[in-house]
Amino acid sequence: MAATLLPEEMPLESHRKSRSAQTRRYGFFPGCVAKESCKELFNSTMLLADRLGIELIELTAASCCGASVVNDVNRDVARVLNARTYAQAEALGLDDVITICSTCTGHMRAANKELLESEERMDHANGILAKFGAKYQGGVMVRHLLWLLIDDIGLDNLAKMVVRPLNGLRVAPFYGCHIIRPESVNGWESARNPHSLEDVIAAIGGEPVDYAGKTRCCGFHIQLEKDNTAANMVGQNMRMAKDHGAEAVITPCPLCHLALDSYQLDAAARWGRTDLPTFHLPQLVAFALGVPADKLGLNKHLVDPRTIMVERELIS
Amino acid sequence: MGIKLDIFRFDEATDDVPHRDVVEVDVPETTTVLDALETAKAEIDGSISFRRSCRSAICGSCSMNINGVTGLACKTPCNTVTNADGVIKVDPMPNFQPMKDLVVHMDPFWDKYHRLKPYLQPADKDEDHERERRVSPEDMKKLVDVANCVMCATCYALCPVVSVDPAFAGPAAIAYAYRFIEDVRDSQRKERIAQISEDYLWLCAHCYACSYCPKHVDPNDRIIDVKRAAIKDRVMINERGPRHALIVSKTIKQTGMLAETEVVLGTVGRFNVRGMIKVTPQALRMVASGKLTPTEMLAGTAAPMLGQPSMKPIPKVDEVRTIFESLEVPVS
Repeated sequence: MAATLLPEEMPLESHRKSRSAQTRRYGFFPGCVAKESCKELFNSTMLLADRLGIELIELTAASCCGASVVNDVNRDVARVLNARTYAQAEALGLDDVITICSTCTGHMRAANKELLESEERMDHANGILAKFGAKYQGGVMVRHLLWLLIDDIGLDNLAKMVVRPLNGLRVAPFYGCHIIRPESVNGWESARNPHSLEDVIAAIGGEPVDYAGKTRCCGFHIQLEKDNTAANMVGQNMRMAKDHGAEAVITPCPLCHLALDSYQLDAAARWGRTDLPTFHLPQLVAFALGVPADKLGLNKHLVDPRTIMVERELIS
Repeated sequence: MGIKLDIFRFDEATDDVPHRDVVEVDVPETTTVLDALETAKAEIDGSISFRRSCRSAICGSCSMNINGVTGLACKTPCNTVTNADGVIKVDPMPNFQPMKDLVVHMDPFWDKYHRLKPYLQPADKDEDHERERRVSPEDMKKLVDVANCVMCATCYALCPVVSVDPAFAGPAAIAYAYRFIEDVRDSQRKERIAQISEDYLWLCAHCYACSYCPKHVDPNDRIIDVKRAAIKDRVMINERGPRHALIVSKTIKQTGMLAETEVVLGTVGRFNVRGMIKVTPQALRMVASGKLTPTEMLAGTAAPMLGQPSMKPIPKVDEVRTIFESLEVPVS
């Protein structure tokens, strides 16, 4: 299912299957947003893991991945912070760290790539980690839950586990930049024409909506920088989704979720009302796999997704 | 091999709306899209208009949108982009006003470039040009990648920020600002950083759309370099962008996490009444939906004023602080 890439373009870690994948015990890096303003993402991920029969072992002492922002103040800090996180995973005997945020995925993979490709950078990071007795051996890979669903569970198996198919609900995928770009860091599938989310939507009984906005930026990182720029990016993308018939959006990234869920209203003056509810990936998958809707935090969204779910007779 | 070119046609002098022409050319499948267009122009319709010169990715003239992907037509073999039905759709670069067919008005792009004063400004004028200005190989190495920029504007066309906000300098101009900011022969480092900051350096959305540079200039990384230069030289760091980066850095150092409420307040400015009025409805909507609890909101607001972390630090947060201190990471 992974995209076709030339061998030299393939990330180092794709060549092997993780021990975690065999034992179904994974390191879990929820990221800041899932622990703060999107707790419903954290909760629905844990409920989904339970349905999938996998164990997500949270790296509770892990720090923020750097969020693509600390790079702006220092070129080394994100790499060393993430080396510390990987050392914690290794100390627990885990070689696979699962993320639920596109930005975490991209930045943790970038840090890992920098460490694995340069002995000098690895030594530099371990020099600092040694101050508190930690060491990263280089044996961790970072993947998003979306990739785990496809590589380790498998789309066929996923489809078989569905007990509440989505009745053809027209769902627009919204990837989030950092899970696909740059390709040299992610490379799991084509960044220009990804289809992993579409495949998952189809597997759980929805109808994927194709539109050009799916790989574009939500503007989250510049929400506070200048009035309306980020809101217009949201509006532009959601207009495209709506015009292609979307009834809802699904995203593997809580930053995209926050931007899309909260800024459609502000963008309405220029782009018209779109009001598309934005599901977190694990929410909708867990729902299809039978997790009760009231456990998924659907009431925590600004654009209430329950309206369309009632309309499509998914919930009463 | 027969390739169907589905071409955007428009002449601003005569047309109100664009239309499309489909022409079929018989060329080998390894032909570049540019050569296919040249064949169509030579053999079928001489009025098809597009910019081109070198045909080898050096002049930067022929960037266009090819089956939804923007890039140099001379560097794109037909067999890598042809649809299953043998069609290649060609359109002018997005984010530009079309002039004639695939030719666009480049003025906004050049304007942003000219604002950089894109020439060396050494401290001494040396008007007689009597001596060389030598640069060590190490210093030159930093500039070589950016010097490869052919100003094809592919990155500008791909930029989602430019598409909604034409005030943004765009990736190429920022990368070119870097080329002068980091040049040891130049004397205007701080002035250049200030200029590009005014042209919305910090409005880059970190999306990596410009990582598809046909010349591997990678403006995305150069934008980060310029931001670091601004922080290091402390140029205009009281603006929102740098303040945001520094407050994120500060909350991670203090708590191990990115403390959302404190970051929002610190970026907008706690005493910026107008800014606060703008973010308040959003904050209230977040509280109303349960995204944010009132306690979290209060802690994020009040704790930093008392010099306290705004949320509970992660276990072993001292290790995180050790990392920040070892690397001398700025937090204010």
